[in-house]
Amino acid sequence: MFHSMEELEKKMTECGYLIDHQVATVVYLAIRLQKPLLVEGPAGVGKTELGKVLARTTNSRLIRLQCYEGLDEAKSLYEWNYQKQLLYLHVKQNQSKAWHEAKDDIFTPEFLLRRPLLEALESTKPVVLLIDEVDKSDEEFESFLLEILSDYQITIPELGTIKAKQIPIVVLTSNNFRDFGDALKRRCIHLYLDHPKFERELEIINLKVPGISQALAQQAVLFVQAIRKQGLKKSPSMAETIDWARALLTLGVSEINTEIVQSTLSILLKYQSDIDKLLPRVSSFLSED
Amino acid sequence: MLKTEIIEFGRLLRKGGVKVSVDQISTALEAVALVGFAYEDFYMALFTILITDQMDRPLFDKLFRLYFVTAAQNQKIPTKDSQQTSIPLNLVQNIEGKGMGIGAGAAPYQLLVKAVRELNYPLLRHLAHMGIRSSVFPEREAIKEMEKLIEQVKVAVGWYMAVNKLEKIRQQESVSETVYLSWLDCLAYLMDYTESQLEDLFVKEYGLEILDEIADAANIREKDFVKLNDLQIQEIRKRISKMARKLATKYARRYRRAKHGKIDLRRTVKEALLTGGTPMRLKYRKRVISKPEMVLLCDVSGSVAHFSDFMLRLVYTIQNRFSAVRSFLFVNTIDEVTEYFKNKSIQEALDAAFAKARYAMSPFSNYGRVFCEFEEKFLSDISPQCTLIILGDARNNYNYDEKERLQKIQGCVRRVLWFNPQPQESWDTEDSIMSIYAPHCRQVFECRNLKQLEEVIETIL
Repeated sequence: MFHSMEELEKKMTECGYLIDHQVATVVYLAIRLQKPLLVEGPAGVGKTELGKVLARTTNSRLIRLQCYEGLDEAKSLYEWNYQKQLLYLHVKQNQSKAWHEAKDDIFTPEFLLRRPLLEALESTKPVVLLIDEVDKSDEEFESFLLEILSDYQITIPELGTIKAKQIPIVVLTSNNFRDFGDALKRRCIHLYLDHPKFERELEIINLKVPGISQALAQQAVLFVQAIRKQGLKKSPSMAETIDWARALLTLGVSEINTEIVQSTLSILLKYQSDIDKLLPRVSSFLSED
Repeated sequence: MLKTEIIEFGRLLRKGGVKVSVDQISTALEAVALVGFAYEDFYMALFTILITDQMDRPLFDKLFRLYFVTAAQNQKIPTKDSQQTSIPLNLVQNIEGKGMGIGAGAAPYQLLVKAVRELNYPLLRHLAHMGIRSSVFPEREAIKEMEKLIEQVKVAVGWYMAVNKLEKIRQQESVSETVYLSWLDCLAYLMDYTESQLEDLFVKEYGLEILDEIADAANIREKDFVKLNDLQIQEIRKRISKMARKLATKYARRYRRAKHGKIDLRRTVKEALLTGGTPMRLKYRKRVISKPEMVLLCDVSGSVAHFSDFMLRLVYTIQNRFSAVRSFLFVNTIDEVTEYFKNKSIQEALDAAFAKARYAMSPFSNYGRVFCEFEEKFLSDISPQCTLIILGDARNNYNYDEKERLQKIQGCVRRVLWFNPQPQESWDTEDSIMSIYAPHCRQVFECRNLKQLEEVIETIL
C-alpha cells in the first residue's frame, strides 16, 4: 500500500487523476486508519472516479455496489439460491435422505449467492469496495452498513459470523440527496470534493482535452468559474466543462464570443430555467479583452 | 502532551454546536500521529475527522486559527493550565501583509475603492489594520458585541462611501459581471479579515479563555432568532433548507414499505413462485400516512419577521408532507398569501408576498384586531381538520386582546399551536400577553433558535 502521502499523490497523478495535497491527506488517512472514506460533493466532481483510480493505483480489484431506493441485504450482501436448493431437494428425494441430513447440505456456501459486500469481505486479494450514491439508499440499509463498516464483519444466521480476510479500502460516495445518521458519519473519514479552483480546472482541461489551445482553455474555464457563482439550479461540473471544451474544439473555435457561448450553453447547463436566466447575460461574463 | 490540546479543541467545537464524539477525538490523535505537524496536514487531519458537515467548516476554521495559530504565536498568554502553554506546533503562518503604495493624504474610502478595483488584497488587509487601530481598544466585555466593533471599523475605513462609489463606477463604466463579482469578494474578504483580526486581538489580550465566548457566539443552532445579523440569517436559511430536505425524505421513505398493514397478495404470490409456491415471506401494501392540513398565521412585525420567514420557508419546502397549506401574514391587519407560493421558487414567493400583501397599516402588531378580522373574513372556509399555527411574540402593544375570538377560532379547527420566538422569561413582561392567549391554544412552544425549531417541527408532522 502507500507509505507516505507523497507516494499516494504521485501514483494517483500517474493514473491520470489530479489530486491536490489536501485530498491526498484525507485519502491517505482513510487507508492508514482503515476507516471508510465518505466522499461528498456536487455531481460530476470525480467522486466515483476517485474510487476507481484508488483500485488501479493499489492494484486491487474494484467491487462496486450501486445504491438505489429499496436496495436490501438480499441484493447487497447474500441470498440463498432458492431455485438451486429446490432442485437439489428434488434430486435427493429418491435417495430418501432424512431431513436433517438434507438440511445440512442445502445451507452451505455452495447455495449462497454472493453479492458485492460479501464478496469484498471474502476476497483474499486486496479490494476496493466502492459503495456508490449511498444517499439514494434507505435508512434501514444505512444502519445495516454499520456493522460492516465498523468491524468489517457480517453475520449470516445459518453460517455464523464472517470476518474480512483482509481489510478492504471502502469508498462511499454521496450527492447529499439526504443527510446521514450520526452513527454512519462518525465511523467515516470525510472528504468533501468541490468544484476545482481555476488553476486546477485548467490543468484538468489540458490533460483531458488534448489539442486545445491555452487561450481557449483559459477563457472557457474563466467563464465556467464565473457562472458557478450565479446560484443556478445546477452549476456546471468538471465533467460538463470537459464536454464543453471538447465541443468548442470540435467546432474549431479559436476564441470564445457571445454568439458561440449562447449556441453551446446547453452543454453546460442542464435546466431550461438556468439557460433562460443566463442567456441574455452571457456577454457580461466574458472579459472585454 | 498534544492530547490535552486536541481534547480541549474538541470541547470548543462542541461549545460551538458541532457534534464531536470521544471516538472521533481518539481517531484524530491517531491521525495526527500519522501525518505530523506540518500546517496543512495537521489542519486537514483534524478537519476531516472532526467535522462531519460542511456547514461547520467556517466555525472550524475560525477556532482552529485562533486556538492553534494565534495562541501559538503568542506564547505569553495566560492559560488555565500551565502545561498547555507549550504548544509544540510550528504553525507560523504569514498573515501579516503590509500594505504598499498608500497615497498620502487620500481619504480611507478612496483607498478602499482603489484596493477593490485593483483586487489589491494586501492593501485591503492594511486598511483593516488601520481601521482597527483607529478604533478604541476593546474592553473584554466587548466580545459579546462583535458586530458593533466591526461597524466601527467599517465607518473608519469609509465602507459605505466606498460601496456607494463602486456602485456608481459600475453603472458609469458598465463593469462586467465577472469583475463586479470579484469586487464583492474583495469586500466580503475585508469584513472576514477584520473580524478575524479582532478575534486575534481578543485572544492575544485576554487569553485562551475568551475562546469559549467566541465559540458560544458562533453557535448558530442556539442563537436567538431575534438577535441574528444578515450573514447569520443567510446561514440559517441554508440550514433550514437542508433540514427541510431531511424532513421531506425521511418519512416518505420510512413508510414506503410499512412493516405492518394490509397484505399485498399479488406481490406475495409472485415471490412465492421462487419457493415452489410456498409463501415464505409476506409482502405488505404501502401504508398511507395521514397528511395534516396547515394554516399558518405569521406575525411579520419587526423582530418576529425573520422567524416567520424561516418558518414559511420550512413549511413550503416540505409542502408534500401536508395535504394543504394556507398562509397568512399580519401585523395589525391580516392578508392571505397562499396564492403567491404557487409555481414560484420560495424566494420569489416570499418577496412577492412581503411586497404585495396588505398586512400592515402601522408597524405595531395588534393581535386582537387580527383575530377579529381572521374570524370574520376567513374562518368560514378554514377546514375543521386543520392545524392552525400562530407565529408571534404575543406583544399586543396594549391593545384589547379579543381572547374570545381566539377561543372561537380554536373551536373551529383541530388544534391551535403557538410558536413564540422570544425567550420564555420575557413572556408576560411589558406588552406581551402570552398567558392570556395560552389557554386557547393546545400548546405554546418557545421557539427561539434553530435547535428548538427542529424539535417543534416534529410535533406538527
